[in-house]
Amino acid sequence: MIKTMLIAALFALGSVTAIAQTSQEKGLAIAVEADKRGEGFGDSQVELKMVLVDSKGTEAPRDMRVKSLEGVGEEGDKSLMIFDTPIDQKGVAMLTYTHKDKSDDQWLYLPALKRVKKISSKNKSGPFVGSEFAFEDISSQEVEKYTYNYLRDETFDGKDCFVVERFPTDKYSGYTKQVAWIDKAEYRALKIEFYDRKKSLLKTLENKDYKLYLDKFWRPALSVMQNHQTKKGTRLEYKGYEFQVGLKDREFTKNSLKRAK
Amino acid sequence: MTRFSIFCALLLTGALSQAEVSMTSQLDYEVTGYFADSQLSANDTRVNNSLAFRTELYTELEGDQSITFKPFFRLDENDDERTHFDVRELMWHKLADEYELKAGIGKVFWGVTESQHLVDIINQTDGVESIDGEEKLGQPMVQLMLERDWGNLDVFVLPYHRERTFIGEDGRLGPGQKYADGVYESADEENHIDLAARFYTYIDEFEYAVSVFHGTSREAALGFDATTNEVVPYYAQITQLGLEMQYLNEGWAWKFEGILRDGVPKNTMFTMAGELPVFYDGVSLTVADDDQYFASTAGFEYTQVGILDTRIDLGWVVEHLYDSRQDEASASAFEHDILFATRWAANDAASSTLLAGVLVDYEYEDYSLSIEGDTRILNNMIVSLEARVFAPKEENPLWAARDEDFIKLTLSYYL
Repeated sequence: MIKTMLIAALFALGSVTAIAQTSQEKGLAIAVEADKRGEGFGDSQVELKMVLVDSKGTEAPRDMRVKSLEGVGEEGDKSLMIFDTPIDQKGVAMLTYTHKDKSDDQWLYLPALKRVKKISSKNKSGPFVGSEFAFEDISSQEVEKYTYNYLRDETFDGKDCFVVERFPTDKYSGYTKQVAWIDKAEYRALKIEFYDRKKSLLKTLENKDYKLYLDKFWRPALSVMQNHQTKKGTRLEYKGYEFQVGLKDREFTKNSLKRAK
Repeated sequence: MTRFSIFCALLLTGALSQAEVSMTSQLDYEVTGYFADSQLSANDTRVNNSLAFRTELYTELEGDQSITFKPFFRLDENDDERTHFDVRELMWHKLADEYELKAGIGKVFWGVTESQHLVDIINQTDGVESIDGEEKLGQPMVQLMLERDWGNLDVFVLPYHRERTFIGEDGRLGPGQKYADGVYESADEENHIDLAARFYTYIDEFEYAVSVFHGTSREAALGFDATTNEVVPYYAQITQLGLEMQYLNEGWAWKFEGILRDGVPKNTMFTMAGELPVFYDGVSLTVADDDQYFASTAGFEYTQVGILDTRIDLGWVVEHLYDSRQDEASASAFEHDILFATRWAANDAASSTLLAGVLVDYEYEDYSLSIEGDTRILNNMIVSLEARVFAPKEENPLWAARDEDFIKLTLSYYL
């Protein structure tokens, strides 16, 4: 009996996707597929240069390293970010536990004070270390963090793309919506527009120079965030991506923050 | 202590003989201007210059081991006590599968509140460094750290006690008196082996920690030697239980720190020099009876992210400071005070921040003001500003500080 119901349900689902898929369902399906293609990376580490560019073009660079651990089952990803420069910030480290069903947990370690501080999840809309990236832009993008709406197909940068709107589910998000250009071939986000709480265009992110790792995982070598309202920008340059280096859970704990060098 | 010195020397040799040693250094130039002549110190100069140098050497060894060495040196224009050297850290660290072990000299911070750090007890305060007591001396220790699903447990064995540093006769912000060598309750004196442990964990947005300390008090009970007119720091044997709690909700951070401390001599002995906990009359040292007391800091910080459509975060801090000894508390304690403060983070490329506050004593009906700010002016240079105004009433033990208002500018150069 149960089996029959299950089969019936599956048929029902199949017919919906095939025949009467709404734009919301199509948007979600694209996000789920993009997420699925990113699954199985296990762990990774990368060196990151963040360059803040003000409206006059003056650049202020920061160097950091990011370690990531893929979540198992219902757990979200964990990440540890360690600062090398500016030199007065050396050893500052940030630990993030991404959650699918609730706000992320985040701690900041201040080496001069030897103090681990929990960061309020309300802070997610705030600028990350003075850059044009907000905390929420750099955290792991779980499917459950948005609702979706497929808009249209469009060519961007010579690639066939889906254009999908996504709406943050977290009330502390600084955005009312984002519009993403996702290429049909590899489901990579090539461009994202961010709309602020007043629904006006705030920022545009472009992910460039995608490289393929382990024959499966695409990562951009360059991400450029441009703020249209302040005319300031931030560049993220990724270097030396490594996957499946054997990072363990214990390298993503509060004690690991204190020993991060 | 000799054995300990040898151990440290070995650590240092180990660190320096390693091929790959990373090094970061910081040179500070500090100038302090006072608004009035001192009521206390013989030195009535209104401007004081000072230099500080600190460096950090770090190396990794085979088998998840590392060594960190952080020496510190300060040169002060007027205060010989403030001119001092300290090993802030010289630590061997081992990361094993089930535990972490540290041995050497180190620094540990416990606490959540802003206005004072009651629970924080592992390290001695480097009292000549700053008026807020946040600078610490390196503490010899063995630390075992366990991290499990149920939380974190740190256990400490502290084999040596560091005496608190006090501002000298010629330094501003001090009592203008000489300090005698510390006197200990324990027959082992500074070699008494202290023990401490702290358990901490979190449930979603609620974090808490419980801690226990048994051994030589870091805070000195300040007595008087009638033969030399010197202040006598007395280090009692104490037991302290500590509780820290923090709950984050929306923009609110609710904070609590409380301690129960047993074994501190009461501040109520009548002597020719006033009411004191410790008195030396030339024949014998008299120590007042032990006291047990409770002290707490409780309050909140409310943060508005991106006020008025800017990048600026604005925080409001309110904390109540309480000490059950009330009028019998030591002069440095806050018995009935409230902190009102505001914290600004510009979130700019220069990482500019500002913290301004007023600490109101509602029994004495007086207050003190403080402003602290810093910003990055070059890639490797930070400028910081600190200003304090003291407005004590005559009955407040801090009456002596009424003319010590100052502005301090510090340039920190990183190399």
